[in-house]
Amino acid sequence: MRTTERSSPSRRTSTVGALWPLMLLFVWATGPGLVRAQWLDYPTPGIPRLADGSPDLKAPAPRTPDGRPDFSGMWFANVPARDYCREEDCIQEERMAREQINLGITLEGGLPYTEWSREQMKIRGANGGREDPHSYCMPPNFPRAWTLPQHTRLVQTPGMMVMLHEFNGAYREVYLDGRPLPVNPNPTWNGYSTGHWDGDTLVIETNGIRDDMWLDIQGSPVTESARVTERLTRPALGLMQVEIAVDDPRAYTRPWAVTIEMALQVDTQMLEEICMDNERDTALYK
Amino acid sequence: MTLNRRSLVPALVGLCLAMAPAARAHHSQSEYDLRAKVEVEGTVTKVEWKSPHVWIYVDVTDDRGQTVNWSFELPSPVTLMRRGWTRDSLKPGERVSVSGAPARNHPAIAIANAMRDAGGNPLFTGTTKVYEP
Repeated sequence: MRTTERSSPSRRTSTVGALWPLMLLFVWATGPGLVRAQWLDYPTPGIPRLADGSPDLKAPAPRTPDGRPDFSGMWFANVPARDYCREEDCIQEERMAREQINLGITLEGGLPYTEWSREQMKIRGANGGREDPHSYCMPPNFPRAWTLPQHTRLVQTPGMMVMLHEFNGAYREVYLDGRPLPVNPNPTWNGYSTGHWDGDTLVIETNGIRDDMWLDIQGSPVTESARVTERLTRPALGLMQVEIAVDDPRAYTRPWAVTIEMALQVDTQMLEEICMDNERDTALYK
Repeated sequence: MTLNRRSLVPALVGLCLAMAPAARAHHSQSEYDLRAKVEVEGTVTKVEWKSPHVWIYVDVTDDRGQTVNWSFELPSPVTLMRRGWTRDSLKPGERVSVSGAPARNHPAIAIANAMRDAGGNPLFTGTTKVYEP
């Protein structure tokens, strides 16, 4: 079911007529790759399905041979699939997590900013948030990356969780081999991450984050002094919960935690989105 | 919890925020005057189906008979492809009508909010197919 059927097929001509035997021969000769260059509706193999063929997203979460929950799969914030762009003047409306704008939206009283953070947010919010690194095609830094409107693919192996993100073809490594976090690490966009198991929960600890990172569109800071803990659980095949706990005394007056729901994305694929390919907006800021 | 008139408004605002399924953009659009509106009809001259945003160029003839090539910004190719559109959905030579918000400091550049083909069919709208867990 593609949702633009009412408009796009009507734009196709119907002149195939007597040419269809020739087209079949062409298809046979060239293979399926030319016929379907994308796999946006190709059925995801190996998942339980209901009688109508749709995925059984309430089925139990899969497990690895050693009995751990297996988080492998494509994920996107659990945003309802509402008809949000059916009418006019809605081309720009995008499906996205509310936490993308304000990561602390579910916290009573919001995020506990320090005075330094409040000053940073004033600067960051000037001119409509033009200074957002995302606007300049910078990498999709975790934990912000969970809320961005691109897909994340988790690839779980016994010694490492690999996170692939569509935006800029980015990656993140989470070591599961028992190593400690580095001491005095060189700060990076995603920091340095190790993970360990707490029952069925994967606990990811991160340090070494850069000082100038944004957690959301409104510019909530996270700094080099931060220790970020993400707790991943998968209560069912189609659902993952990511608790994000931030202990950053420079940016926040106390540690805080929020939980984001992620929905498994099936019968689709990752799509390349290299931001610098044709970035033109920043030139228009002048 | 009971709601009085004073608490009702913030509660409703909070509810709307909590239920919001979509937002207008995931980055600044401050280069555009979103309160202004531009509406044109013309002929497509080029389609740039590239990240981070699709750009469509349209020749528009003004009241004095001068042709101006307008640039319209759309969402990312990824967003549009997940709605079912492709780089071949609109081609040079086709007639379109477009409405959008103009750039503040640059002439003949706008962000497109609505686009229709010569038959009046909406272009680039739609939803992404999603299974809800």
